[in-house]
Amino acid sequence: MKLNIMVVDDIHANLRLLSDILGAGDYTVRPVPDGNLALTAARSVPPDLILLDIMMPGMDGYEVCRYLKADARTADIPVIFVSAKDETIDKVRAFSAGGVDYITKPFQAEEVLARVRTHLSIRKLQHHLEEKNRELADALDQLKAAQHQIIHQEKMAALGQLVAGIAHEINTPLGAIRASAENISHATESSFDQIPKIFQKLSQQHQDDFFLFLREAVRNNPPLSSRETRNLRRVLKEELESRGIASAELLAGILANMGFGGDISRFVSLLKEKENTFIMQTAYTLFMQKSNSDNIVKAVERASKTVFALKSYVHYDPSGKMIRAKLSEGIDVVLTLYHNQLKKGIEVIAEYEDVPDILCYPDELNQVWTNLIHNAVYAMNGSGKLKIGISQDNDFAAVAISDSGSGIIPEIQEHIFDPFFTTKPAGEGSGLGLDIVRKIIERHRGRITVESRTGETTFKVFLPKQIVAESQTI
Amino acid sequence: MPKKAILCVDDEEIILNSLRDQLQTRLGDRYIYEFAESAGEAMEVIEDLASEGTDILIIVSDWLMPDMKGDEFLIRIHRKFPGIVKVMLTGHADESAIRRVQEQADLHRCIFKPWTEEELIGTIISGLKKNE
Repeated sequence: MKLNIMVVDDIHANLRLLSDILGAGDYTVRPVPDGNLALTAARSVPPDLILLDIMMPGMDGYEVCRYLKADARTADIPVIFVSAKDETIDKVRAFSAGGVDYITKPFQAEEVLARVRTHLSIRKLQHHLEEKNRELADALDQLKAAQHQIIHQEKMAALGQLVAGIAHEINTPLGAIRASAENISHATESSFDQIPKIFQKLSQQHQDDFFLFLREAVRNNPPLSSRETRNLRRVLKEELESRGIASAELLAGILANMGFGGDISRFVSLLKEKENTFIMQTAYTLFMQKSNSDNIVKAVERASKTVFALKSYVHYDPSGKMIRAKLSEGIDVVLTLYHNQLKKGIEVIAEYEDVPDILCYPDELNQVWTNLIHNAVYAMNGSGKLKIGISQDNDFAAVAISDSGSGIIPEIQEHIFDPFFTTKPAGEGSGLGLDIVRKIIERHRGRITVESRTGETTFKVFLPKQIVAESQTI
Repeated sequence: MPKKAILCVDDEEIILNSLRDQLQTRLGDRYIYEFAESAGEAMEVIEDLASEGTDILIIVSDWLMPDMKGDEFLIRIHRKFPGIVKVMLTGHADESAIRRVQEQADLHRCIFKPWTEEELIGTIISGLKKNE
């Protein structure tokens, strides 16, 4: 398609001369005799270039040019002034009004064509450049969106690995709660039958002993391990036998299950009753209602701890502001969520110095701890020592996470923070974990270092204690 | 008549506490109930009971435990005591682990936490029948 050039001049002869020259140069020419018409025509069908006379009746060329430049539809059209005025001041005015060039009358046809060609070619290049810029900006936006999505996926993948362990963490207390509730229910019903019989069978003195014994049994005895319970049962059995008490083994079992470590001598007379097993079974039925309630409370605390940790893990502050938080809390949240993976064979040694709360994005730091702890567990193949230390290092709070795994060979140490670098088998790791870790730490104006040899790899995260909060100053 | 025992293995105190009373309440004094917090401790208990002449009829074991997982533990037990009935009681186990115990340790059943009393007692009773 031919390029379209508008020529504006109030003198008919000039219009025709320029039209002839440009027509011979293979351009479509639109001659316009005054400024107002030129503006209207340029707005409705913008030309590729305008040749503009300065001295015109009504609106002069400078004014026409200023109007063209002020209107978005015509602002980008290159304007070449054509005038007999040859003073420097005229040229300066022409350029400051927005012209790109200045042709002095009288002119040579070749000069006009050469200047028009040059400016059309600049214009074309400019268009091309603008288009490329737009494409690049689009590409950058898409890349940013993709990066955001990958970071999110990485976060969800880390969470996904935790979910299996969390199912166990929640189902375990739920199991204990249901069983204990059923136990209480059975025990309550049994008590309805047993209690009246106890009152019938026991003398006043033994009734008092019975309740004294129960009170002692439910008094906060420290919980015993299964091994301690077995030992206690053995000791009690011998003691009961030595005191000549019948059914010593059965009674020892009941007393041990109560964790009864107190002095038995006060209850010997009660334990020597003919129906001592019924008496102790009744005591145990009552005891069970208390101990199973306690068990439920413990189980609920366990489940709450897990739920709290989950909530803290995905904590997201939509305000996007840094908040003051304790580093150890975030680390403990991650350790709680990793409890199951860790307890299979990893000894966790946590040494936290007292470090002031720091301004940070807590959910992002959780992602850092999750990544580093997950890598450590992976490096140790599930068994070894995981050391986590928090300390002060001049103006920084330092978090060191060490594992006793096989270490990172020196050749790859410098690459571990590179995006998409991974040593895991295809499909297992995105290679973005440590890249994201470093980005998050940089966002906190901190830094991360790694030291590794066989048997000890330490990642150390330094976070400034006093950070100029970018978003808080707003 | 030699005494008969049921052994429960779980690293969670709250689970052992609730199992202890559940078994005692539902199965009474017919059996001895033993508890261990790890596979290692369970091995000791098994040795102790064997030396006292007590037969272990059934083992109810968790899967996810420190030191040794339930599948490995039950497979070891099966090699030494093929007659003991094996039950898994777990909050989470991967399917390959369950399959391994089925194939290599003649797993009677796998019960998932939170279990119901009927499920557990029913499983134990059917396991005990298998043993008679």
